Amino acid sequence: MSRLFFVLPRLGRGVFTIWFAVTVTFLLLRLLPGDPALAVASPNMTEEARAALLTQYGLDQPLIVQYGLYMWQMLQGNFGVSFTQSVPVMDVLLQRLPWTLLLTFTALVITVLVGIPLGVLAASRRGKVLDKIIQVIGVTGQSIFVPSIGVLLLFVFGLSLKWLPIGGAYDTDAYGMDWYASVARHLVLPAVSLMLIQLGSYVLTMRSTLIEALGEDYVTLAKANGLPYRRILWKHALRNALLPTTTLIGLQLGFLVGGAVLTETVFAYPGIGRGIYEAVTQLDFPVLQGAFLLLAITVVVANMLTDIVYGFLDPRVKTS
Amino acid sequence: MTSLDPLNATPTGLPVSSEALSAEPVAESGRAGAATWRVFRRDPLGVISLGLLLLLVVVALAAPLLASYPASYGSDVLKPPSLQYLFGTDSLGRDVLGEVIWGTQQSLLVAVAASIIAIAIGTLVAVIGAYFKRLDVFISVIVDLTLSLPVLPLMILIAALIGPSTTTIIGVVAAFSWPEVTRLVRSQALTVVNLPYVDAARLMTTSPVWIIGRHIIPAVTPVIVVSVVVTASRAVLSAAGLAFLGLGDPTTWSWGRILYEAQQSGAMSSAWWLTLFPSIAILLLVLSATLLSIAYNDARNPRNRAR
Repeated sequence: MSRLFFVLPRLGRGVFTIWFAVTVTFLLLRLLPGDPALAVASPNMTEEARAALLTQYGLDQPLIVQYGLYMWQMLQGNFGVSFTQSVPVMDVLLQRLPWTLLLTFTALVITVLVGIPLGVLAASRRGKVLDKIIQVIGVTGQSIFVPSIGVLLLFVFGLSLKWLPIGGAYDTDAYGMDWYASVARHLVLPAVSLMLIQLGSYVLTMRSTLIEALGEDYVTLAKANGLPYRRILWKHALRNALLPTTTLIGLQLGFLVGGAVLTETVFAYPGIGRGIYEAVTQLDFPVLQGAFLLLAITVVVANMLTDIVYGFLDPRVKTS
Repeated sequence: MTSLDPLNATPTGLPVSSEALSAEPVAESGRAGAATWRVFRRDPLGVISLGLLLLLVVVALAAPLLASYPASYGSDVLKPPSLQYLFGTDSLGRDVLGEVIWGTQQSLLVAVAASIIAIAIGTLVAVIGAYFKRLDVFISVIVDLTLSLPVLPLMILIAALIGPSTTTIIGVVAAFSWPEVTRLVRSQALTVVNLPYVDAARLMTTSPVWIIGRHIIPAVTPVIVVSVVVTASRAVLSAAGLAFLGLGDPTTWSWGRILYEAQQSGAMSSAWWLTLFPSIAILLLVLSATLLSIAYNDARNPRNRAR
């Protein structure tokens, strides 16, 4: 019962955020200069096909009716028809979504796996040279334009050293285990690019929260009890410092997805980001609208899941 | 203690740690400003960053003197850097050095304009929310919701619909940067409105405009200064991102456009100079802005002045 009370508000919040994203999109399309019909139907379509789509979205109706119809269509996953491929936008995007999920999830995992130990290292050597070096790396990483680091890695490891493939997501001539291996090899460079720009936030948050935790009374008590420093650091202080770092994942998800759009473009990775790039070139507005909404939903759902899973791990949530 | 901790107040989008912005919520007087400057002067990283930023501003302003506008096509196509072309040439034979110099102008213009708009809206919304508690719930919900969405795809959709131009980019970047400013300024403003002198001001006048303008905004000015720098550097990255995807102003050079054209012509990976120089320019601008805000935060903190 108490678990239900914990999960329900978070589910509600997620649904509310998705509603907000859809509403913002609807309002922007109607309020901005330009034809809102462009977001669902191409001017190059036949008259009847275009008219049918416009009626479906109620673009000849008053605004409030349009809003209701828009919501209804979005609920059914109907994001319009792609200008260039003449297939429902949802079909185009769902094909690409798994690749984006794979890339962002991998990047997130390696960022956390590298970022937390680096942050702990910096905090335990506070003020020393190693601490300064780690901080400088963190700040620099945050200042890099994703495509810059992507092209650099591509140039060094792809073109010069020829260790890793320079683009795409898999080898077309590989089957079975070879295919999975090729997917992994294609994933390395884009995931590392995304990790490098994200790392700084995790390292610096981990560092400052851990430094704060190390100043707490329970740490002093543990020291007074003669516990070894390593044990205090990794067992007592780190556990408490992990909390803000976990919240950071949620805060950074939107940013991570933005980075993925740019990274996929550099590496010709067949995810939603690359789809956005192609849609921009062809001015395929329905795809752009659908891509934003689908990414927004993905981010919200991922955030919700992290939140709920985390809640079950935190003993304080269980008891309250 | 010149630690980089105050970075928590910067682009990472984190809750501000107690160490970062807890220092004096009261406005800086002229004397405090001078003291800040004295401490700042001794921080080599801060001084170098300030110098670099000023250099970029000079390059932007003096662009017409430094290089002719790279418009005409040349016969020297994709030449690596040489004495004649210090940064090499692109796939249409244009001088990359000239493109980077003119790109500085565009990038700084977008950064400054977008951050001024975002700061104005963001600060106003934040102090109004902090002062009128009823609006605060509504405002913080909007801010939280916007910050949890992937903003770049939304910017892309709008920029594509309106059509790419410098005004569009400034507007789009500003429109999605203010919530971050609001979040930063709001946390500071909330502590200020509860201070005794604001209560005293409430007894003196009934005009919230006066109290907000005279007492609350000056008190949050340090946070605003930090977020100007942070927002501007984020704006550079967002604008470069839009331009890189082909949504930059096609009539003006920007660093993102150089990268976009390199990508389009397929020369991105072979002609390293096409990506290296604009990338360095972006890195220098964003990094020095970030370091400057850290140095300013450190210098402002009275705990560091005692030395």
